Amino acid sequence: MSEIKVKLKTEIERLFSEDAVDVVIAFKKENAPLRPQPAFFKSVDELDNLEYNSLCQNNLANYLTRYPHDTLIGIVVRGCESRSVNALVVEKQHPRENLYLIGIPCQGIIDIKKIIRKTGEEVSDFSEDEDQVSVTVKGQKVTFTREELLHDSCLRCVHPNPINADVLLSDPLPEGDPAIARQAVEEFEAMDKDERYAWFQHEAERCIRCYACRESCPMCYCTECFVDHATPRWTESNISPAGTQAWHIIRAFHQAGRCTSCGACERACPMDIKMTYLTDKLNEDMQKVYQFEVGMDDETQPPFASFNLDDKKRFVV
Amino acid sequence: MDTRPKIALFQCQWCLYSEPDQHWVDNELPPSIHLVKLSCTGRINPLHILNAVQGGADGIMISGCLPEKCHFKEGNLSALCQHDEFLNLLDYIGYERDRIRFVWLDLQDRGRIQRELADFESEISKLGKAKNLATRINEPSRGQHV
Repeated sequence: MSEIKVKLKTEIERLFSEDAVDVVIAFKKENAPLRPQPAFFKSVDELDNLEYNSLCQNNLANYLTRYPHDTLIGIVVRGCESRSVNALVVEKQHPRENLYLIGIPCQGIIDIKKIIRKTGEEVSDFSEDEDQVSVTVKGQKVTFTREELLHDSCLRCVHPNPINADVLLSDPLPEGDPAIARQAVEEFEAMDKDERYAWFQHEAERCIRCYACRESCPMCYCTECFVDHATPRWTESNISPAGTQAWHIIRAFHQAGRCTSCGACERACPMDIKMTYLTDKLNEDMQKVYQFEVGMDDETQPPFASFNLDDKKRFVV
Repeated sequence: MDTRPKIALFQCQWCLYSEPDQHWVDNELPPSIHLVKLSCTGRINPLHILNAVQGGADGIMISGCLPEKCHFKEGNLSALCQHDEFLNLLDYIGYERDRIRFVWLDLQDRGRIQRELADFESEISKLGKAKNLATRINEPSRGQHV
């Protein structure tokens, strides 16, 4: 993995030396070993802090929309991030010619919460190789297989390889299996409606309305979210059952045909609320009905943004 | 009174061609039916539907022009796809899909709106009170947005 870090560093140094980018969005080391932070490198001198490993939780495409359109941005993308970037390009959030995508085929993101649940909080060191991950807890080395620590949405990942990237830093990985990706939705659908509602209720009622899911999502870039509107007030903005349920339903629905299932929302959630089972269902419908998969290129509009007269055949009896 | 299910009727202002029908909807609706008049069904945001559900409606009926006879030519079609998908999502999390019904009214359909509403009401009565989504009615604002 450190091999990739070296490659990444040389690539970024090359970009700066050729003046091809104004800023590079990547990750940097933090004091806590488990939590690399998103970083915005503006010169070669800052690169000592550069970090890349499987603990990088954020979806970096999130920060794309914070720059003016004429900024030349270099951005580190994994499979899901590259699709988010493509989706943002389709929605004209940044012109593609001003972007340089440094692609890294991704083995999956390791869920910090899973490590903490297994070992406790005092993790002082972290290392990984192809299939194994070891952490040091209170001076003792503990080893896990990569599989058991991967984040749930990464276990279901279908496209680990960056799409449309300008450069790939390692060999492409095999694509994931769509049948495994669908499993969670199928299991949920197999329950009857009261069980499904009980599940949904249980997930939604824990919500504390911190909106970390919104802030971590690259597709939630509205300057004013519907929950923040005062007039008209669309939903309750307190933590009443009606308010939290409305937030979870509409948040998911605004992602229809736009969500790349990166799972950043779930990783950001302090209450451990499952959310991808909603967006995955919408994604599946988009594929079934409109044969659309988000972020596979940077031209196709998502179904609800475009309009086709043939669509009416679907619902006019 | 309380035994009748509460119904929210979203009505496109162009869909009732005959004067008596529109007059009936505007003035003589039973008190259990709440009318929301819109310039086009394409104006309906999924949030409107959700708001009606959470405000305590047991059923929601949306009446609009046939898609190809929309007053605004084809404006409502793309929105209709969204409603369709939104119902799928509500159904997925356990809300009964039958509680939300679309009705396409045609030029020839005089008096149909009354029949449709009666039919819908009896169906909703069979389903009983909606329970699979939290409502705002027990909250301090009593379901009203102020």
